[in-house]
Amino acid sequence: MTSPPEPRSPGFAGFRAKLLVAMMLVVSAVAAAVLLFAQRNVAENVRRDFQREFQGELAALHAVQDIRHAVLAERCRALARRPRIHAALEDNALDLLYPSARDELLGVMDRGDGPSREPGTFALRARFYRFLDGKGRVIPPPDAKDVGELRPGEESQLDLGALPDGPQVGYMRRGEDGAGGTIDEVIAMPIISSEDGEIISAIVLGFKPAEFGGGSAGIKSGILLNGRLDLPSLPASVRQGLAGEAARAIAAEGRTEGGYEVRAGGAPYLLFCKRLNPGSLFPAAYEVSIYPLAESLARQRQLVWQFAGGGALLLLGAFAASHLVASRLSKPVEKLAEDSEENRAQRYRAEAALESTSRELQRSARFSADASHQLKTPVTVLRAGLEELLAGETLSAEAREEVSALVHQTFRLAGVIEDLLLLSRMDAGRLQIQFSRLNLTPLIEAWLDDLGALPDALGLKVEADYPPSLWITGEKRYATLILQNLLENARKYNRAGGRIRITAREAGGWAILSVGNSGQPVPAEAREHIFERFHRGSVGENIPGHGIGLSLAKELARLHGGDLRLSRSDEEWTEFEVRFQLARASGEAGATG
Amino acid sequence: MTAPGLRRVAALLVTLALPSAAPAQAAAEGRVELAKPLHAPVMNKRYGIVSNGGVLSPFPPVAVVYLEGAFPRASMPPMARMVQKDLMFVPWLLPVQVGSRVEFPNLDDTYHNIFSYSPAKRFDLGRYRSDERPIPSVLFDVPGLVTLRCDIHEHMRALILVLDTPYFVVSDAEGGYRLDGLPGGRYVLKAWLDSKTTLERQVLLQSGATLRVDFP
Repeated sequence: MTSPPEPRSPGFAGFRAKLLVAMMLVVSAVAAAVLLFAQRNVAENVRRDFQREFQGELAALHAVQDIRHAVLAERCRALARRPRIHAALEDNALDLLYPSARDELLGVMDRGDGPSREPGTFALRARFYRFLDGKGRVIPPPDAKDVGELRPGEESQLDLGALPDGPQVGYMRRGEDGAGGTIDEVIAMPIISSEDGEIISAIVLGFKPAEFGGGSAGIKSGILLNGRLDLPSLPASVRQGLAGEAARAIAAEGRTEGGYEVRAGGAPYLLFCKRLNPGSLFPAAYEVSIYPLAESLARQRQLVWQFAGGGALLLLGAFAASHLVASRLSKPVEKLAEDSEENRAQRYRAEAALESTSRELQRSARFSADASHQLKTPVTVLRAGLEELLAGETLSAEAREEVSALVHQTFRLAGVIEDLLLLSRMDAGRLQIQFSRLNLTPLIEAWLDDLGALPDALGLKVEADYPPSLWITGEKRYATLILQNLLENARKYNRAGGRIRITAREAGGWAILSVGNSGQPVPAEAREHIFERFHRGSVGENIPGHGIGLSLAKELARLHGGDLRLSRSDEEWTEFEVRFQLARASGEAGATG
Repeated sequence: MTAPGLRRVAALLVTLALPSAAPAQAAAEGRVELAKPLHAPVMNKRYGIVSNGGVLSPFPPVAVVYLEGAFPRASMPPMARMVQKDLMFVPWLLPVQVGSRVEFPNLDDTYHNIFSYSPAKRFDLGRYRSDERPIPSVLFDVPGLVTLRCDIHEHMRALILVLDTPYFVVSDAEGGYRLDGLPGGRYVLKAWLDSKTTLERQVLLQSGATLRVDFP
């Protein structure tokens, strides 16, 4: 990375803010969902409770009404069995019908002594009665006063057109069309002849309908008859609206039992409709029960507000908590960011240093290479000149020896320059080993031959132990160089009459070559440095060498994928060990051929 | 015994003594084919008078056979009796001559309230018990069929057939009848079977002879 490190990011606060916002969003969403769900749930529960209460109350009212109807029907049934009434109808004595019935109905008819009536929720007293003839028409009474007076229009409402075969419940609007009108409940009971079992007549009794409502739930009940709703406690406009809604509900079949919400006169109501006289010959009448929902809605609205308030508080708390958590959470991240910032700076510095080092190394390698090249030529020229001098006849024997020594020095110089060149190439990373299969044995043998050719001043004894062939992967030139360096050292640093021992073997996937000599041991403090460049042991200056042989050998061994180490060094024996990668067996046959 | 009581007893004796006292008089006998009840009446057998399709008839069936004609009315109205016993009328079919008085003693432990809305005789005796004295009675002065009911016991029913003749008899259960002490001459002999059915025959009665008349 070459760009300069950015200054410490100003985004820590931003990170914290983002974390906070994210947390707030999550918390808000969750809180809102939970609150919404809870509110819905509570609202639904309230509604259900309310409906249950409402329906429970309605059911109670209906039960009372059913009992009342049963009582009234039983009363009518008893009347319909009275022998006098039967006698009047069956014995052709219609003139006696109403007079007889008057006596029978003495205890039933409401004589208008209202206040003295015992207080109760419903009255069982009849307001009027009539008999129907065989065609379902009203038999006119001789004196309407005795049977409860009815207007002609009212009396005609009792005409059923046919005799009922069972008790019939009906409702009849009485009085003015205006506010004074009331609705009477009518029960028609067939009279069955005791002579032939035929229905010969019917007695129709009118009752004041029971007044319900005003219960704890605030239910108001009225009767919907012929599209008009009788519910005096409501203003006319609301009444008409409700009548319309109820009529619509009744028109939509199957909805007469359920409660649902309607608006009438600008206010919401819960509306229940129930047919009061199912299957009756009388016009259909419906009980319309309403419950003003305004209060309930207000309660719900209040509930919503309470939830909203609670939600706001919760969110506030969540905000604070989020803030706290965000700051705590962001702390290690900040730390991490700081650390990484430092790391980056350090890395940058290291990289920069590395780069400059690399540049310097390259420069120095190039310089070494240049220098080596520059040096090689004059050395060659020098040697050529000296050899020319030697070839001449003019030199004395002493001078010739001198010159010969100089020539030898030029070889040494050339070797140093060669090694330096190699090293510099290695340092510059330009040295590429051309790996191939290589038999180590001939290299050893070649060296042994060379050794035999050298003047043996020390009287060294050479031992060798190697297999007939040992294949490694490597480049012959450099492998030879490694061997030469090691063997040269073994020779150079040996003592007079000492030994050199060369062994080569295969072990653990490696080709291991050991070169040992009986020279002086490497001092313990020098062992770490013997592979360093230009290091020479404490041996005397009389030993030829320039201190880069081991270094070069080790580098080359490494480049070959192996290594070089000092495996033993004591008073008796010093041994180096180099290992090469074994060549794969596949190509062995071809290479040995 | 009061004077009317004596008269009543005397009249009864005269009536009973007539056949034997005047053997020259005619008689009619025969058999009325009675309706065979297909099934027993639905209600309790005690009813006596059953209604079927608006027709009141005695059960088990019997017929009332009577001779119709312009006979002088008896100067002293005969007395008849219909009791209420075990919540029913006994007898449940009672033929009487026009002008007869029928008394209705209550032999039950409970109240009865006999009334009739029939055109031939409307009356209402009101509620009374067995200790009611004098025994309530009704004068039947118009011929026709009178249905009797009890206002308290709606099932109780009886028929009184008010006839404009002193010559009548209730058949036995098989329909057999015999009328004695009839005057000779041409008459109409009738057999009342139920509230809607009365059969009749023209008869020529000869004194001292018994005419066999079967219905139908």
